[in-house]
Amino acid sequence: MRPPRTAQRRGAEGLHRYRFILFRPLQFLPVLLGISVITFFLVRLIPGDPARILLGTRATPTAIANIRAQYGLDEPYLVQYFFFLKNLGAGEMGRSTLFKIDVLRLIATRIEPTLALVLAGVVLALLIAVPSAALSARRQGGAADHAVRVLSTAGLGFPSFWLGAMLILLFSVKLDWLPVSGYGTNLGDKLVHLVLPGLTIALSLSAVLTRSLRAGMIAGLGSDIATAARARGMPENVVFWRHVVPNALVPTVNLLAVNIGWLIGGTVVVESVFAVPGLGQLMVRGIFSRDYMVVQGVALTFACATVLINFIADIVTVALDPRVEL
Amino acid sequence: MTAALAPRHRLLRRPMLLAGLGLLGAFVVLAVFAPLIAPYDPIWQDSAARLVPPSAAHPFGTDNFGRDVFSRVIWGARVDLQMAVIGVVFPFLIGTAIGTVAGFFGGWIDALFMRVIDVVLAFPFLVLMLSIITILGPGLGSFYIAMALVGWVSYARLIRAQILVLKTQDFAVAAASLGFSRGRIMFRHLLPNALAGSLVFVMSDTVLVLLNGAAISYLGLGVQPPVAEWGIMVAEGQGFITQAWWITLFPGLAIVTLAFGFSLTGDALADLFGVQE
Amino acid sequence: MTAPLAIAGLSVAFRHNGEERRLLDDVALTLNRGEILGLVGESGSGKSLLCRTVMGLLPSAKLQVTAGSIRLDGEDILAGDRFADIRGRRIGMIFQNPTSHLDPVMRIGQQISEGLMRHKGLGAQAARAEATDLLAQVGFADPPRAFESFAHQFSGGMRQRAMIAIALACDPEILIADEPTTALDVTIQAQILRLLMDLRIERGLSMILITHDLGVVAQTCDRIAVMQGGRIVETGEKRALLAAPQHGYTRQLIASHPSVGAAGAHVAVDREGAPLIRVENLEVRFPVGGGFLRKGQALRAVKDVSLSVWAGETVGIVGESGSGKSTLARTILGLTPATSGDVLFEGASLAKDRGATLRRLRSDAAMVFQDPFNSLNPRMTIGATLAEVLKTQGETPPDRIAARIGELLDMVGLERSFAGRKPRSLSGGQCQRAGIARALAVNPRVIIADECVAALDVTIQAQIIDLFRALTATGKLTLIFIAHDLAIVRNLCERVVVMHHGEIVEDGPSTRIFARPERPYTAALIAAIPDIDPDRPLNGGTPTHIQQELAP
Repeated sequence: MRPPRTAQRRGAEGLHRYRFILFRPLQFLPVLLGISVITFFLVRLIPGDPARILLGTRATPTAIANIRAQYGLDEPYLVQYFFFLKNLGAGEMGRSTLFKIDVLRLIATRIEPTLALVLAGVVLALLIAVPSAALSARRQGGAADHAVRVLSTAGLGFPSFWLGAMLILLFSVKLDWLPVSGYGTNLGDKLVHLVLPGLTIALSLSAVLTRSLRAGMIAGLGSDIATAARARGMPENVVFWRHVVPNALVPTVNLLAVNIGWLIGGTVVVESVFAVPGLGQLMVRGIFSRDYMVVQGVALTFACATVLINFIADIVTVALDPRVEL
Repeated sequence: MTAALAPRHRLLRRPMLLAGLGLLGAFVVLAVFAPLIAPYDPIWQDSAARLVPPSAAHPFGTDNFGRDVFSRVIWGARVDLQMAVIGVVFPFLIGTAIGTVAGFFGGWIDALFMRVIDVVLAFPFLVLMLSIITILGPGLGSFYIAMALVGWVSYARLIRAQILVLKTQDFAVAAASLGFSRGRIMFRHLLPNALAGSLVFVMSDTVLVLLNGAAISYLGLGVQPPVAEWGIMVAEGQGFITQAWWITLFPGLAIVTLAFGFSLTGDALADLFGVQE
Repeated sequence: MTAPLAIAGLSVAFRHNGEERRLLDDVALTLNRGEILGLVGESGSGKSLLCRTVMGLLPSAKLQVTAGSIRLDGEDILAGDRFADIRGRRIGMIFQNPTSHLDPVMRIGQQISEGLMRHKGLGAQAARAEATDLLAQVGFADPPRAFESFAHQFSGGMRQRAMIAIALACDPEILIADEPTTALDVTIQAQILRLLMDLRIERGLSMILITHDLGVVAQTCDRIAVMQGGRIVETGEKRALLAAPQHGYTRQLIASHPSVGAAGAHVAVDREGAPLIRVENLEVRFPVGGGFLRKGQALRAVKDVSLSVWAGETVGIVGESGSGKSTLARTILGLTPATSGDVLFEGASLAKDRGATLRRLRSDAAMVFQDPFNSLNPRMTIGATLAEVLKTQGETPPDRIAARIGELLDMVGLERSFAGRKPRSLSGGQCQRAGIARALAVNPRVIIADECVAALDVTIQAQIIDLFRALTATGKLTLIFIAHDLAIVRNLCERVVVMHHGEIVEDGPSTRIFARPERPYTAALIAAIPDIDPDRPLNGGTPTHIQQELAP
């Protein structure tokens, strides 16, 4: 009789901690508003006639008249901002002068490679960081620990554009195992193309994660929690994996969330190195070809993605740490 | 142990600090004495010696224009070191001031700055940097301005958090109960204690600024050719990676080494001050 | 029958960079079957280290056992590394701070089952049933619910009960309790001690109880071992040892115990005139919880409190954690804003004329804090700290400041050379003296001391109390002394104010309140103080019938 009752209660008690998922999005409103203000001014602050900036130098007079009307370009900034919000609400982000298509549709086609790259980076980084930190922390002061410490400290300063080039040199040029650049068309091909750029991101990220995890694990191994577990006769393996690691993961998830901004920014560079047709590469091309609608659209997309990822990190933190109430 | 020997003795007992400061010192020397140390003019093109592999005459080889990579790496220290330092100083000053004021006074001032910080942090760092550079146009000056506009956020958050904690500590309450002025409490009691942690952060932030500056130059939006800068050199070398790996390898190693120097110094300082990052 | 635990000639040394320091020196100790052995000593005496050594849990690789043996039922456990079989199964351990020793991200029940599944080979369901049973035994009202809970959902006392359940899971013969009640309120302490004594009888446990409080030992133990500087200086049967201590250090410890000294002579106070401080219907609320789109609640820290303090009085404000005593102190000094009500300082109203009253308070009142290290700016020398106060107060001419610093250090019993030192290089007691010197630098008429001896060892505690007694002896200084420890207050203060849940429940002369408490809560609080006299037993923190009859 007892187990079903407690199981039911466990569910009910746990759920209220996830209530924030319902109302937290309302808290995003001021941030999203701020994001829209910044992206709005991004285009308006460029010196010159905004209509020509948005349409390029070879625009027809009718096109210029149309865009002035659509964005209210002759009105004061405040009115222009409302036009901007209205257009955004209608899913209207303008037209790319370079690709001659709607910016929203252009961005939609570019999300997948970037998302795949970020996911591959995070997964690979965790696969590298957790074992190396564990190895290092459990044999503190040993040879492996020294190697991990030096590598992770040096790894903080690896420029991704250079690391990518070096990986190309090694795996594509010398060994000829993996493609130099680009992105595939079918799933297998895409995965093969993701290995090097994903690894580039993962190596940089794993340096940060390893250091944080190692510090957390060492603190955990010396903590009262570990002492208490040992005092009740738990073997060292159980102490480490069941008590030390779960407690060390909590701050690491937060660190990962903080670094996600860096990670997404990093895709801009890595996509350029490996010619991955994602959002980052699109933004760089947009900047060089003065395709400002594209730059604006990508910046907006990236910012919204960051907000979303931080939200997900909050949910994970609540799941990992029963003390956290949001 | 005599008093005069004590400081040196202490430094010797901290090999990490010694190694970190040594690396940084070496790069400062390279930057300051670049004209004396570098064997060639960094932008002089020797059309007879293009893509020459590393040799006695050209320890790091030459690039596609016949420029000596070794000399360019040395001259690059000037630009990259300057980029890293200036790129940190302004965010640090602005962020510390804002963080102190927000943390100390609280209320609407704090709420306002926190909202601004939330918005800035919603943008991936590099994306916002690139957006600002789009407005200002490429160049080192734009990079500095963009850094100042974006980089203060992390310092403000850090210092604010420290001040909020320190404010509730007994010694701060004691200062208030003894009738000290707000300015005295803020600058003499809170800020000095908050700065230790941010000094450690300055070191790790310098690494990030260095990487960012080099990345922006790599993308072609920062320092412009033909100036010798490590990020540009990597970008220029990448086109020749199949024939001449040395053009790409050495400037990258220079970045890694300089960054390592900052990271080591930061770790050693964290150790010294007993700060958790 | 051999003793279950016999330690002989045990030495533990700290080795680092060629240095060697002995932390345990030739320790011999026997624990008899079914007895509770009290291990007493101050911080750094090695009492915790001794028990960690028995468990094979030396906190650092730099610590090594250099000599000696530990025999469990005659078998030397140091010889082979047999700790894995001993920990949890034959010796259980509970710790001072249950909050940091319980895994915050694992359910309480699982932390108990873990041991049961490992040592007894139980399946998950059987372990759950047994763990639930254990939780009932240590006093959880709803054991299945407790099984599913996390540590942060419990109060301090309940966490310690959970810790005890974990330690008892595999029926150990021996329980080592390392300061199990130090972090708890006095009434909760009495309950936990009662639980430990009951469990000893029910389960036939042998127990080592480590504590700094001789009162706890006197109330619970059969024998006492006194440790100082890594040595056992004296061992003996409880009553014999307390009645006729042989070693000088034991005598000093007993003399320092707050329940020993009688209340000192007090100066006569004139309560005819206007009070120095008058608190009128003071209410302090803090917003708690809440946030965006959620209504926060208010915590009423101080509820409608009225109080008058006359010049020259020494008033003790006592109460358990959360009673609002610290908040009251800070509100009197204008450091925490009052929600309603007023504080009058010599007739000047903090509510009506805040600026002027604050200025008077800042030059006539000073505060001494609980944590001696945290209450001094770590970046300033003691001299600079004092000089800053003297300059701000502006009463001392600049050329007299150095001399005045010297006088202040003399008054608190610190050598003048301490002016050049930073807090980090001082001991806790020295820091607290420096903190008192800083308060005296104001040349105050009132000092408010907030739990200022709670973090100190008993012998240091006694010294600081003596210092306060000397400072107030002239009758010129008014002292408001906030403490959770009633025994200390009885020694120092002529008047006691008892607070409970933000309200004043009793206010009167110490002699009367300690002899004839009028309210059941006060009576319970007094009854829960572990007296050093073993014949004045603990009553488990609940008021007795006699005391209830006395209550109005």
